[in-house]
Amino acid sequence: MHTLRDITVLVVDDAKSLREFVRRNLDARGYRVVTAVNGADALEQFHTHPIDLVILDLIMPQMDGIEVIRRLRAVSPVPIIVLSALGEESTKIQALNQGADDYLTKPFGVGELLARVQAVLRRAHQSPTQSEPTILRQGPIVLDRERHEVTVDGQPVELTPTEFSLLEYLMQNAGKVLPHRVILQHVWGPEYGREAEYLRVYIGRLRQKIEPDPNRPRYLRTVRGVGYAFEA
Amino acid sequence: MSLRLKPSIPHRDFNWRHDLGLRMLVLYVAFVLPVIGMALYFERVAAQRLRADVENADLSLARAIAEETNLSLGSFLGAAQALGEEPAILHADMKRMQALFSVLAHSRPEVNLVYRLNSQGMMLYHYSPTPIKHSTIGVNFSFRDYFKRAKTTRLPFFSHGRISPTTGQPVVTAVMPLWNANGEFIGILGINIRLEALSLALQRIAQSHRPDEHFLIFVTDDVGKVIATSETSSAANSPPPDLLTAVGDLSPDLGRVLYSGTGHTVLTSLHGQAMLFTVASLPSVHWHVLVGRSASSAFTTAENFRRAIHLALLVVVGTGVLFWLALMWQILRPLEEMAAYSRSIGEEGPHPGEKRLAIQRLGYRPDQVGHLARTLLRMEADIAARMQELHTLLETSTAVASTLDSATVLRRILEQVERLLGTHKCAIIAWDEERQAFVVRASLGLSEQYAQRLVIARDEFNSLTLRAIRTGQPLQISDTESDPTATAIRPRARAEGYRAVLAVPLPTQHTPPAALVVYYPEPHTFTRREIDLLTSFANHAAMAIENAALFARSDARLQEQTRRLEALIQSMGDALLLEDHQGRVLYANRRMAALADLNADEMTGVEVGRILRRILAHAPDPTAAQAAVSRAIEEGMAEITLQQHGRLASWLMHVFSVTDAQGIPIGRGQIWKDITESREVDRMKASLISIVSHELRTPLAAIKGYASTLLADDVEWDPESQREFLQTISDETDRLSALVSDLLDLSRIEGGSLKVEREPIDLAEIIAEAAQNAHPSPGKYLEVHLPNDLPTVYADGRQIGVVIRNLIENAVKYGGEGSPVRVSVAVESDAVVVRVEDEGPGIPAEHVPYIFESFYRVESGLTQQASGAGLGLAICRGFVEAHGGKIWVEPRAKGACLAFSLPLLRPSNEESSP
Repeated sequence: MHTLRDITVLVVDDAKSLREFVRRNLDARGYRVVTAVNGADALEQFHTHPIDLVILDLIMPQMDGIEVIRRLRAVSPVPIIVLSALGEESTKIQALNQGADDYLTKPFGVGELLARVQAVLRRAHQSPTQSEPTILRQGPIVLDRERHEVTVDGQPVELTPTEFSLLEYLMQNAGKVLPHRVILQHVWGPEYGREAEYLRVYIGRLRQKIEPDPNRPRYLRTVRGVGYAFEA
Repeated sequence: MSLRLKPSIPHRDFNWRHDLGLRMLVLYVAFVLPVIGMALYFERVAAQRLRADVENADLSLARAIAEETNLSLGSFLGAAQALGEEPAILHADMKRMQALFSVLAHSRPEVNLVYRLNSQGMMLYHYSPTPIKHSTIGVNFSFRDYFKRAKTTRLPFFSHGRISPTTGQPVVTAVMPLWNANGEFIGILGINIRLEALSLALQRIAQSHRPDEHFLIFVTDDVGKVIATSETSSAANSPPPDLLTAVGDLSPDLGRVLYSGTGHTVLTSLHGQAMLFTVASLPSVHWHVLVGRSASSAFTTAENFRRAIHLALLVVVGTGVLFWLALMWQILRPLEEMAAYSRSIGEEGPHPGEKRLAIQRLGYRPDQVGHLARTLLRMEADIAARMQELHTLLETSTAVASTLDSATVLRRILEQVERLLGTHKCAIIAWDEERQAFVVRASLGLSEQYAQRLVIARDEFNSLTLRAIRTGQPLQISDTESDPTATAIRPRARAEGYRAVLAVPLPTQHTPPAALVVYYPEPHTFTRREIDLLTSFANHAAMAIENAALFARSDARLQEQTRRLEALIQSMGDALLLEDHQGRVLYANRRMAALADLNADEMTGVEVGRILRRILAHAPDPTAAQAAVSRAIEEGMAEITLQQHGRLASWLMHVFSVTDAQGIPIGRGQIWKDITESREVDRMKASLISIVSHELRTPLAAIKGYASTLLADDVEWDPESQREFLQTISDETDRLSALVSDLLDLSRIEGGSLKVEREPIDLAEIIAEAAQNAHPSPGKYLEVHLPNDLPTVYADGRQIGVVIRNLIENAVKYGGEGSPVRVSVAVESDAVVVRVEDEGPGIPAEHVPYIFESFYRVESGLTQQASGAGLGLAICRGFVEAHGGKIWVEPRAKGACLAFSLPLLRPSNEESSP
């Protein structure tokens, strides 16, 4: 197990008050915190420190959060939590599409923040339990829990921790229809359940990565109004 | 000589039901057919009866002849039997036989030989009253049929007809077989009867019956040879058959009928002549009597009867045909000719003279057809006259109505009256509103003096013209010298030289009452026709006058209306275009011309495609714009983005089909509406919500965050931190409340309810305070330049403070981290000018005109919103303008410079400070 001090969180927000609020709270709970005041700063910090989690404000001068996510995702599967004053679903989906792992709408309390941070970190650092097989195999898709690696037809596929957890859960329950709520609680954490749009975005991204034809999915099947299933 | 075909019967384009001739023919045939049928039937029955009568008559004759012949022959057989019993003959006693034979021969002239054969057929003795050819005594005749037959019978019988070798004449022999007492055949006794003698007897018999008719009578023996004939060789018409000729040789029909027995008849040809023969048998000797006569004479009556019937039928049919032909030529054809002619009346072109000549010829007939033809010709002449009148009337009316100019109309009316009635003086007299009297409006042939002086007062009841107008009826004076009502005008009439007047009222409704007056130099009674003609013409003339008057009125109104409409359409803010079916511009307003970058007067007739291409040349995305135009044409409406005057403009293109009052399409209309502003408003509304949301949520997030931090019980915060958190909460609350007041300010500015509370303010103090608020550590980055003699400024301190703070914040934000911010104040003319400068990247030129607008976004996307609500500069402008000042961007080589001015107002009741 990691100790919290081993975990470095990059907090990016142009509003000092908010940045400080996040920093102080995480610091008080034992995380190592690095801050940045804008997008460019954030990228610089990310490359100078070993970052385990990014907490990112979307609305910033010069380079907005979406662009930052895009650039981070180009180089790393680091978990990203987005903070935004914009509560519209379109913005949320845009951020998730670019690769954000979670989304917090301002204003939020410290408890909510910490819960999300822990949930995201949990997904990122999940290690297989003894009783479960190390390798899941469904057709050409092979998921190695130990090495945290996924291959399709032997080709390695780059997945974010959340994507990995989601695929792992679906493959574990291959052939079963899993309701939205169950998937969310299991993959994201018990405090989730209503964020169906997360699933939509993540399933979409997984399809892009593992399906031979993402427009006509063969493995990740949508069961309309209910949830998703991994077709064995 | 050339042969000319007679003009054929005019083509009949009606069917048989409508053809009188054909119907008569059918009626006639219906009547005649039963008659013919009955006649033919009667003829057939009667002919049969007549033939039966003839046959019966012939049969009775044949029977009578047979009877008589039978009797006569019977006497010969009796004589033969009697002689055969004579012993002398039985014993062949020559002397006695001679005596007996001579008695017999001399008593019966028909007998020419009596003889006795012995039992071997040897001639024992013969006697002839006439010299014989050569004696046959001693000749054996046992080969003869009759000799052989005699051996089988004891009764006398007749032999076949044959030539006697003894006498050389044709004979039949009455044979008596001779038997002795022992029953031995001892020879025969023969009596030869001359056939010629028999024929003579037959002739006698034939002549005793029906001497008026010529009969051919044969008697044939039992083998069918003619042994007697009624004909003498002298008879010329039909040579008699030779005696002993077989009848079968004459005609096979005759041979056959012999064996059919009594009563049978046969019609056969004998020597090329048709003959009717009737048979009667002589059963005792198996002879037959054949009575024949020529078929023609036999059936004469029947033939005559048939001829009579045929003749009667022929007469009936012939009469019928003649009657039908007469009907055809005398009635139907003339009727058709007249019908065809009457149809052609009134058609274009003159009638062919030939046709007309034919009708005229028909007119010479004294009967009903002639009467009809004459009536037709009269009618035609009448119609022609009326047509001519109508034609003239139409021509004159057309001439009158061909102009809408009132003066020309009146002149033409008079010219046409002259033409219609052949008069040289005429006038139009109408009510004159100004002079309150009837005056001559136009005249022709009248002296100018007369026309000018003729003024008829409203109450001049004697005036013919006035009476005509009042009554609405045409009125005339046939002779002004004799008419008692004309005494008043007599002197004028004499002076002007007219004797007869006709006044016809013009039935006007929208123009003053008027009449058409015609003058004749001689006494003249206007005929009904003349009056009618002029009345009809007056109707047309009145219409033309009214049309001209109404046109003159409506034309002016229409022009006025068109001018207004044109002004309205041309002044429209929207671009308008009307195109025809060929896609060419029928009409376009100035705005459309400007949009297409063309002169307004060169738009008409231009291809609409070209106009659209010119407009779309301004589109930043020509493909999308072209698609939008296609959509507008298909769906009626689409939005198109164009680059105009350095910025993007949104246009709503509306396409609609244009129809006339009857709903018939005349083309297509386009309206281009500039919706840039309303789009801008929409966009601003949308961005307002997200900006306000962001701006409000950011301090709220801090407040909530720190409050929840303090509330969280898993971490014990030291008092310093707690205080710091509470301070942040307090600061953010201030920030929130400042933002709320910004929004309120802005809403007051935009709503026009902003109040300026003027008071003397200290600009230096306000600037210092604003700098403190805007920039937590002014220090070396903020320079403030104030003139020494800064006059007192009367202004709303809070508002000016907000303005300066916003400008400094703006400079800090956009100037970048290291850029210094310079604030300077100067007095320029009657205003104090405050400038805030930085050394940052400056404001891009394209944004300069808009940065003072509310929610204007210098940058796009999520980044802009970090720079504040975009309200700051808008609030600045609102506050500055509320003070009567101005705010602007000053060009700088490096960095940005925003400046505003405040007018130096001095309260009137207060002295300026020294």
